Amino acid sequence: MNRFRWLSAVWALTHLLAVQAAEDPPAGLPDSAALHATVYGTPPQDIAPLPATVPLQEIDIALPWARPLPAVLWFDRRLRAWFSVQDKPAPLAIVIAGTGSDGNTARLATLRATLYGAGYHVLTMPSPTFPGFVASASTTGVAGDLMQDSRDLYDATRAILAHLRAKVRITDVDVLGYSLGGANAAVLKSIDAREHALNIHRAVMINPPVSLFASMGRLDQLFARSIGTSPADIDHFYRRLFVRVANYFRASEQVRLEDTNLYAAAAAVLHTDADFAGVIALDFRLSLMSIFYEGDLYAGTGVFSDPRHPPHPGDPTAPVVQELLRKTFAEYFDRVFVPYYLAHRPGATRESLFADSRLDIIGECLREDPDYFAQTNSDDLILDAAELDWLRATLAGRIAVYEHGGHLGNLGDRQQVADMLQMLAGTWTGATP
Amino acid sequence: MRRAGVLALLGAALLAGGCATGGFSVRTLPAETPAADNAAAIRKLQALQAEVAAAGERATLAPPAGIGPPLTAEEAPSMGTYDPWERTNRFTYRFNARFDEALLLPVADRYRRLPRPLRTGVRNFFSNLSEVVSVINYTAQLRAAPGVRCLGRFVINSTLGLGGLFDVATGMHVTQARTGFGNTLARWGMQPGPYFVIPLLGPSTLRDGFGWAADFGTNYLINLADLYRGTAGWVLTPLNGVDIRANASFRYYSTGSPFEYDAVRFLFVRKTLIEDEALRLWHRSGKRGAQTPAGQ
Repeated sequence: MNRFRWLSAVWALTHLLAVQAAEDPPAGLPDSAALHATVYGTPPQDIAPLPATVPLQEIDIALPWARPLPAVLWFDRRLRAWFSVQDKPAPLAIVIAGTGSDGNTARLATLRATLYGAGYHVLTMPSPTFPGFVASASTTGVAGDLMQDSRDLYDATRAILAHLRAKVRITDVDVLGYSLGGANAAVLKSIDAREHALNIHRAVMINPPVSLFASMGRLDQLFARSIGTSPADIDHFYRRLFVRVANYFRASEQVRLEDTNLYAAAAAVLHTDADFAGVIALDFRLSLMSIFYEGDLYAGTGVFSDPRHPPHPGDPTAPVVQELLRKTFAEYFDRVFVPYYLAHRPGATRESLFADSRLDIIGECLREDPDYFAQTNSDDLILDAAELDWLRATLAGRIAVYEHGGHLGNLGDRQQVADMLQMLAGTWTGATP
Repeated sequence: MRRAGVLALLGAALLAGGCATGGFSVRTLPAETPAADNAAAIRKLQALQAEVAAAGERATLAPPAGIGPPLTAEEAPSMGTYDPWERTNRFTYRFNARFDEALLLPVADRYRRLPRPLRTGVRNFFSNLSEVVSVINYTAQLRAAPGVRCLGRFVINSTLGLGGLFDVATGMHVTQARTGFGNTLARWGMQPGPYFVIPLLGPSTLRDGFGWAADFGTNYLINLADLYRGTAGWVLTPLNGVDIRANASFRYYSTGSPFEYDAVRFLFVRKTLIEDEALRLWHRSGKRGAQTPAGQ
């Protein structure tokens, strides 16, 4: 009985705040529904049918081309991927995570379940921007170059498959990825079209960026608009969310934080569009922090780590973390990425590096080869109208554009999964209205 | 003697784990159960919606009695964390990671191959024993309702649940709410103090580390059914540890990030502070400077 009282109070309060928030005009933020979908993801009742059980193995592999491991990354010596095997010969689906993520995210678990249920062996791979990948599998240590990162991912996948093929009967190979992983998947297939080491048949990109750097710039902008840019702004955002969680928890009468209902907690904590946008932007910023720090460490650009005195795992990192929280992708591009690639890629310019982050680099493959597919949403936060048009024009009849979902907010829902499976099977005939 | 043997074994395992440099290895994880997990998520959401609908009918804006005014943003602890022993803590964190990888996790993996009912029995058994400490601490916190609930659980599960092997009480909607001496200290106003990574156990604070030791000591003193001393103690304590590990999905360094230590410290101390806010008998003065690191 008591619980109802607390809940009613929390709920009434939330609604009151939501009404106030609605009167607050959002300044330059994406559509409210897109922000909500991006944060909440697909509601559980809309998820496509899932199998009862999915076996899972964790694969660790040491790759001979990895660069010398800095002391502070001692734990990243081996690349980790996850594999679900069918008990009969089956096609293999390789699924690649989005920016900064490892090979076992909740989104990958959803895709793994639907693909396994449809009869695939499933190998889920980390993003080449995942800090563990950068340390264990990258030839550069400087993440962000679409072709080079995908090249490293291609070789890592190849090394894993060399082991798996000895034990598992694979009848066909398809590749998928969400967000940045979608772009990586397509580039993987384009590399394979020349080298035939994996024999990739079809590729499906789920909510891919068109220009990697433009999309990242958009997320930086989202951060600036929703949270701010000064240390005081970030501190304010943190305090706002902290007291909301604390007050919600105090009213919930639970003893341990992990026992609270997450849905209810999110409803009580995130009120305005700026809150939702802030959480999305912060999630990206946290990924960027590791990319920036590691890139600087490997490239020896000296932004955070003095190349002559490499950091030790015992060193406090709080000041670096504070500084990194305010650093944008643009700054990473200028201070680490460009200097590194100008020194290592003959003939490269700042402009050419920027241009190379676009899916254009495999534009011809995307246009000519009928085995590339894409799924995206008309309100995806990481695309602008021109980029969406480019995807539509380039992939012609091989792209499904859903009306709502924001960025990945409909991943795993019935329509998305049905279309994805048909695309992989080569039976997709076009988006159903 | 026995202690020396255990230490030697531990050292050998750590050494072996540190030297394992094979190029390719596969570890089988428990199978995922996506259909059941999603069904559970739907039920949870529906239950919440039902509660909300019910709550909406008698919606009242009167602040719930007894919990004091809501916190304000000024009262939130700073983003920094009080960690004067950082270098030692970082060393312990790394040691714990290696220990986990080399010994605890492989043992937990093997343990997980035992039949599920057996493991549930083990889990229930230890969980039932923990009610003793909870009852004592709820008493010390002057919180009658949850104290009586824990006592009730202990009586029901020890008798109907055959010595705690079956959790009959949860089936009767008497759910568990653990507490310990760390919570008691928080209730009476003690701050968490310095962040403290305890060898083998993991992240904690000085206060909660002391609380953990006090709970351990309480059990040792009471020595219920002679389970905490002699051979039984030597068998049960590691078994409890393995059982806890087998039920936790946490993996050291799964973030791959050079800032994992910072992230774990931040989240752990914030969680502790949020739980403290709900426990505290009187409202905090709010006089602490904004720059005072959290926990101090």
